[in-house]
Amino acid sequence: MATITPTHTSGHLLLFKSTDWHKDLSPDQIQQIMTRWNDWFEGLKNEGKLIAGSPLENEGRVVSTKTGSVADGPFAESKEAVGGYFLLNVESMDEAVAIAKQCPALGHGIIVEVRPVAPCCPADRMVDEVSAPSHATA
Amino acid sequence: MLPGRPHGGRSLRSIPRHGLSAEAPTEIPRLTDHLFRHEAGKLVSALTGIFGIHRLQMAEDVVQEAMVRALQTWPYHGIPENPAAWLMQTAKRRALDLIRREKFFRENLPEITATLEQWPEEETPPFDDEIKDGRLRLMFACCHPDLPQDAQTALALKTLCGFSPAEIASAFLTTEAAIAKRLTRARQRIAELGIPFEIPEGTELSSRLDGVLRILYLLFNEGYSASSGDSVVRGELCQEAIRLAESLATHPAADHPRMHALLSMMLLNAARLPAREDLRGNILLLKDQDRTRWDRSLIARGLVHLHESAAGRDLTEYHLQAGIAACHSTASDYDDTDWPRILAHYDRWLEISASPVVALNRAVAYGQVHGAAAGIAELEAIRDQGHLDGYYFFHAVLGDFQERLGQLEAAAASFTRALQLTAVKQEQLFLTDRLRACLTRE
Repeated sequence: MATITPTHTSGHLLLFKSTDWHKDLSPDQIQQIMTRWNDWFEGLKNEGKLIAGSPLENEGRVVSTKTGSVADGPFAESKEAVGGYFLLNVESMDEAVAIAKQCPALGHGIIVEVRPVAPCCPADRMVDEVSAPSHATA
Repeated sequence: MLPGRPHGGRSLRSIPRHGLSAEAPTEIPRLTDHLFRHEAGKLVSALTGIFGIHRLQMAEDVVQEAMVRALQTWPYHGIPENPAAWLMQTAKRRALDLIRREKFFRENLPEITATLEQWPEEETPPFDDEIKDGRLRLMFACCHPDLPQDAQTALALKTLCGFSPAEIASAFLTTEAAIAKRLTRARQRIAELGIPFEIPEGTELSSRLDGVLRILYLLFNEGYSASSGDSVVRGELCQEAIRLAESLATHPAADHPRMHALLSMMLLNAARLPAREDLRGNILLLKDQDRTRWDRSLIARGLVHLHESAAGRDLTEYHLQAGIAACHSTASDYDDTDWPRILAHYDRWLEISASPVVALNRAVAYGQVHGAAAGIAELEAIRDQGHLDGYYFFHAVLGDFQERLGQLEAAAASFTRALQLTAVKQEQLFLTDRLRACLTRE
């Protein structure tokens, strides 16, 4: 039986939401925020707290199994969309929130969602497979 | 069975990005100051050449999108080796996307895409020349005499200097909405009037160049004078005016004595900016400034352009202002200043321009040459000109002369009157200090 092994069994995910927060920024502000974001990113990386991180393209598709439809996405409301993520190697929600609060774009309309990555040890996975065979959770 | 470690290597390899897998702290490449702002001005000029001046807004939007794209990706992927070229490429691709979608452009597609395709991968010297050319065209378009003057300054700051409406508003002490409205109207006017995107030729060039110089002069003065607004943005206005003037002066179409005179005036005055305030941000008078803090390299550049401005028979207000600034910047201290020469410059300036503010400044120089009492007599002679009596600086100068003559009561009254006439905090602090000095010496 093929099993999916989760890449990470702990840590926290930061989701940067809203794609149009930067529309009204001036070139100088863009440069300043970017420089601070770079420093933030490199700092977390060098401290070993950042496992992965990437921006997401604005375009995408939303696949809905119920109707079988595939729609342009990610969302009708672009301000809901996730523009990028960090996967943090920190154990506590408090620490993850403290890091999220350092986001240089906070103050300019970005929203950071902090989500713990669900622990997923082999025993848990067996329980999951038995109770919800068709439901794959992240 | 537990394939893979809980944290670590796997995910890193699956996400291709620079540096994340490196163990050692990485060096973060630094961007030069205002790189984005300066690139924005260049790119808008270049794109306007392709889209046409009636599509100025579209050129601005494409550039904004390229910058936003950089903000979305560079923090994760690192700053590219050549940030300017990256922005240019991204703007080019966005422009091509837009062009393919728009009917207007589809009809002219082969020609426009051909022009865009010619954009080089890297910045090369010939392209640099084209950019200078584009910027000059855009400058002539923004400073077209058929546009209202306040629209000209706002448009030049937005399109050529990459300032946002909010930044322009804070420099001119108005609202962002007012600036946005001004910009929209200016772009509409350009389209309606069919203002060309070109460098004027022949006899037209001279008068149109005057319009461009006047706007640069206004931008510089707005930044230099402490009458309103945010001081950080205002300092940058001076720098931007100098930057535009310098790029303009190297273009053959603008290489005129009065162009060099204006640039010289800006450089020589800007050289004193670092010494104009004390550590607490209080205004320092010329005689109290630490002259070692004057920027020697700006003075040297200013003197070079002053020399170039002397070619030909032109004598403009810019020449006289540069001459006055040169007298100050080459004097070793206040008393050593060549005041008779400054006074002579003001006399000639008054012949060209009957401005009461010039007359007021001339009275200051007159008092330096002929004594405070003579200065007061000059002030009284011009008091009724152009509302000078309602101008705080008039009373501040009068108070200064009176104080020097030991007329402390009269001086205190003058400083009090000046205080009532200014709303700028730094000026109020300065005047309060002067007033207190008069009152305690009594």
